[in-house]
Amino acid sequence: MKIFTRLLLLFFLVAVLPLALLGYFNLRQNEDTLRADALGRVGQLADKKVMQVRGFLAERQRNVRFLAESPTVIRGIGMLAETYPQRSGAAYFGEDGLMRQYFDRYVEESGVFYNIFLITPQGEIIFTQRHESDFATNLLTGPWRNTQLAEVFRDARMTLEPVFSHQDTYAPSHDTALFIAAPVMMNGKFKGVLAAQLSNAMFFKVASGAIGLGQSGKAVFGRKDGEYIVMATPLRYRLDGREVLRLKLDESRDIPMYGAIFGQSGENVKKDYSGVRVVSAWRYLPELDWAMVVKMDEDEVFASISRQRTVTLELVLTLLFLSGLLAYYFARQISAPLENLARTADEMAKGSLDQRVDESAFGELGLFAKAFNRMAVNLQGIYGTLEDRIEERTQELNSSNAKLHEEIAARKEAEDEIRSLAFYDVLTGLPNRRLLMDRLSLALSLSQRSRQFGAVLFLDMDNFKTLNDTLGHDYGDLMLVEVAERIKSCVRDADTVARFGGDEFVVLLEDVDVKSTLALEKIALIAEKIREILARPYLLSGREHHSSPSIGVSLYLGHEESVDALLKHSDMAMYEAKAAGKNTVRFFDPAMQKTVEAHAVLERDLRFAITRGQLRLYYQAQMDSNLKVSGAEALVRWMHPVRGMIFPGEFISLAEESTLIFEIGEWVLDTACGQLAIWQSHAMTRKLSVSVNVSAQQFKRADFVEMVSAVLRTHQVEASRLKLELTESVVLSDVVEVADVVAKMHALKVLGVKLSLDDFGTGYSSLSYLKQLPLDQIKIDQSFVRHIATDSNDAVMVKTIIDMAQNFDLDVIAEGVETDDQLAFLKQHGCNVYQGYLFGKPMPFDEFEKLLEQS
Amino acid sequence: MKKWLLVPVLLLVLFFLYRQYHAETPVIRIGVLHSLTGTMAASESPLVDAVRLAVEEANLSGGINGLRIEMIVSDCRSDANYCAGRAEKLIAEDKVQALFGCWTSVCRKAVKTVVEKHHLLLFYPVQYEGLEESPDIIYTGAVPNQQIIPMIAWALQQRGRHVYLIGSDYIFPHIANQIIKKQLFALDGQVVGERYVHLGSRNLDQVVKEIARVRPDFVFNTLNGDSNRYFFRALQKAGIRASDIPVFSSSIAEAELASMEPGLMTGQYAAWNYFESVQSDENRAFIEHFHNRFGMQRVLDDPMEAFYISVHLWVNAMREANANIIPVVKAALEKQTMNAPEGIVAVDADTHHLWKTVRIGRIRADGQFDIVWQSGRSIGPSPYPFFIPRAERDKIEGEER
Repeated sequence: MKIFTRLLLLFFLVAVLPLALLGYFNLRQNEDTLRADALGRVGQLADKKVMQVRGFLAERQRNVRFLAESPTVIRGIGMLAETYPQRSGAAYFGEDGLMRQYFDRYVEESGVFYNIFLITPQGEIIFTQRHESDFATNLLTGPWRNTQLAEVFRDARMTLEPVFSHQDTYAPSHDTALFIAAPVMMNGKFKGVLAAQLSNAMFFKVASGAIGLGQSGKAVFGRKDGEYIVMATPLRYRLDGREVLRLKLDESRDIPMYGAIFGQSGENVKKDYSGVRVVSAWRYLPELDWAMVVKMDEDEVFASISRQRTVTLELVLTLLFLSGLLAYYFARQISAPLENLARTADEMAKGSLDQRVDESAFGELGLFAKAFNRMAVNLQGIYGTLEDRIEERTQELNSSNAKLHEEIAARKEAEDEIRSLAFYDVLTGLPNRRLLMDRLSLALSLSQRSRQFGAVLFLDMDNFKTLNDTLGHDYGDLMLVEVAERIKSCVRDADTVARFGGDEFVVLLEDVDVKSTLALEKIALIAEKIREILARPYLLSGREHHSSPSIGVSLYLGHEESVDALLKHSDMAMYEAKAAGKNTVRFFDPAMQKTVEAHAVLERDLRFAITRGQLRLYYQAQMDSNLKVSGAEALVRWMHPVRGMIFPGEFISLAEESTLIFEIGEWVLDTACGQLAIWQSHAMTRKLSVSVNVSAQQFKRADFVEMVSAVLRTHQVEASRLKLELTESVVLSDVVEVADVVAKMHALKVLGVKLSLDDFGTGYSSLSYLKQLPLDQIKIDQSFVRHIATDSNDAVMVKTIIDMAQNFDLDVIAEGVETDDQLAFLKQHGCNVYQGYLFGKPMPFDEFEKLLEQS
Repeated sequence: MKKWLLVPVLLLVLFFLYRQYHAETPVIRIGVLHSLTGTMAASESPLVDAVRLAVEEANLSGGINGLRIEMIVSDCRSDANYCAGRAEKLIAEDKVQALFGCWTSVCRKAVKTVVEKHHLLLFYPVQYEGLEESPDIIYTGAVPNQQIIPMIAWALQQRGRHVYLIGSDYIFPHIANQIIKKQLFALDGQVVGERYVHLGSRNLDQVVKEIARVRPDFVFNTLNGDSNRYFFRALQKAGIRASDIPVFSSSIAEAELASMEPGLMTGQYAAWNYFESVQSDENRAFIEHFHNRFGMQRVLDDPMEAFYISVHLWVNAMREANANIIPVVKAALEKQTMNAPEGIVAVDADTHHLWKTVRIGRIRADGQFDIVWQSGRSIGPSPYPFFIPRAERDKIEGEER
């Protein structure tokens, strides 16, 4: 912290804080005293109020006792009871008049009672001063048996004592009412009850009269009524005493009234029912079962304190400001010269040694400034000599540094040389035997984990020795360099091409494929490519030279074979290639060799299959739920002149390796549409649809949609009858962009072509992805259909697929339906289109048409 | 820490320790007068526990404005005169601020003279016959209009007008029956028999024979102590069931039932202000505290509750008065209201009795009561019954002496 702030803070702490604290505590103490004082006053007032109300009630009780014991009433109640049955008669009328006159000084003249009742022991009201609707009713059985009048009657009869009622609404008087009742005894016999209804005006004058407590002071009454507190408040605004407020008991625990409702008394500052903080005292009145609260707004009580608070605050703030100014001035006096010193010292540190400070500051600070300046002069002298020395040293260091850099570079070069000698062939720069062995063993480990096939190609250049012997080693070396370059151009960067020794090279192909047949094909392809490129003429220093390689191939998968065995096998295969007349590729495994050869033949034949008209389309019927033919799936067959009929499984993958697949695909679509056109021209077959399978390669082509559109145009067929079957591998292929797939499918939809998802359930289609695709149908793969009647897992699977299809609003077709059980199951679960041997195998169109006629 | 600071700090600590342990904490003493030996011991000794519980609760919640309450229990040996002597000693020597105690009216009247001489305070916790008021006594039990009068009125309404009166031969039953006879006369009831047996009598077969003969609508029973057991056994032997001729008792509470053979009194009635079976939060807390302190097997009854609230009323008044000046405390006492286990109670300033809730209970097989009637709220005390003219009251009081 800066000295300046520190000084200011110190000043604040010493001068202002104690003052503020003193003010605060003084205020607090005043507040506490005031609160205690107010609570005491409110408490006393509450006691006074209680005494007033109780005194008033006691006085009224004395009135009632007196009346109940007065001979007039004792005699009167007897007479009235006798004449009451004929109460319209003169006898009753006379008695009634006498009683009325007697009671008048309590009712009319002094107004203490609103009404007076005489009640027989049986509860019959035989006299009332005012003839309200309660007159001549029975308090045990009549309409007012649940009123507080009935209650006092029963209590008086039960205890033979004067009793009070609640203050409550009393319907016959259309107002609230409070009764006092006393038994009337004649010669020791219970003759009835005299009840008096208090005058509300007089009662509330006592209950709510001024309590002499400020502006907001007031007395509030309430009682418990079931789960409620009922405020019988003679509030200032409602002098008629009607109940104005009901509060839920359990929500009112914090209001002052709550304790008193349960007979407790006390004083405290609390929030009242309207949320205002009040200084309050609460009391319980047993006579009325009433709770009373005397209260006064806290704000009013603390009005003087709040004035005091403002004054104190203003005082403290003013003092704070003044002393702050003073503190600022003194702090400046000390901190300014110090800051000046610091700034100068800082500049000197940066090099401006000629800086000096102002020496005019007061006291010790002035002495300090003078001493500082002296120090600066000395420093400037010393610094001058020092600078020259440094200059010398720097030059020395720079030269030795440059030397060091040169040495490091040289050493690095030497190290690289040594390294490449150890792992790389000096002539060709290819990995040498040692590095190859390393990579090979690593490759086997990787293959073990990935389950991908790989291969080792062992190459030897034919007639190399002759070249070396005739033209010399220089030519031989040139050729080897050229060979290395050519091999490298044939393989991926990740593959290893190594010089094994002399004219022997080894190519290591990793991660070719997980399927052995596909791997074999690919490897054969690469090997052939290498063979072909190495067999081209070599131009060495202007001379043309002809040579060719012999290549031995050995496949590997994991650690099935050791590194050594693998090399040995490929070496052996290489020798076989040489023996077979050089310029040849040989596989170590004879079976493989045979496969490769057969493949080659088949591929050659396939090139001519279309042009020679060897391809046929077969049709397999698709049945609707009425087991009527609704369409057909077009399936291609190759009628090989030698091998007979070949199924697409054998030749489509072959075709996919070259562009042949496009030709075949287009032929199939074209032929199918031709057939569709024929069917559409006949009434009976007009509704038939044709499904055509589309391969991934085909679908990937940019012009696929245009091709389909062109074929449809050529044959003038209704597009909605053509259904393209796409496998999950098409729509989920990683070679085709998802966006592209979706775009193409939408384009096909625009043409009107139907789209079906083939082999559904075998892939990993995510539902969310499927949802994006504009499909019309999904085809349940036959592998599920085959076991639905026997395997519960498959059954559940099929059910799930059908449910899902229904949710996505797609048609479902099941293929491979062979038995009636399967058909029944599918039908039961909502699959409505079927295809399978149960309805017919794929057949030529003429047979298919016969089938149509039959059905 | 610099060494010179250590010395004053150490001195300060020592000073506080000294203040903590040597400062004399003044206590406020109260005296409890009960017969822990003699014939009344069985009834009275449980009351001491009720006082103890209340005192402990009060001390736990801060005592009286910081002062601890200490109770001195004095054994009255079931002897009124001895008891008065003990009261004298407690007041003069032990300087107690208030006395709590007595059971019988004889005892109360003996102690009353002592208390009135010293203008001290006595809390009397038992229901009694009334006809008494004292500026120096707070009566926390029921007077007739808070117990036996409503019970008789209820029985008349429920059972009929023929009543048989049976009681022990001492003050309370005689005066109570005097009052009841007036009430019966007022309400057209009829006494068909009235018998008194000496305190502790075991021979009630004659009485029961008479009851069987006159067949009243109900019996009003003011027997006290062991006689009850023999009375009800005799009834059982004679085959008179509670449903035939129910007995309404004034002095049988949970404590008495606990000492009798179970089932003996099932179906009979009693009236009190408090039953252990009262359903309220305050009562549940009261029972729980009592059980925790004195054991689960203990039962609570009306006099115990009355005694318990006596202490709390006194403590509240003392706290409010904030001075050990007896007239100030009395003035504060006259204003006291409280949410007691039995319901709201309030000191009646005029009579020094309490406003209390009245309850009539029917005895269950487990020794507890089913409450069959209770007053809607606290009933004011009336030690001098309104329905008996002053002249006749004096006559009854005269008989008492």
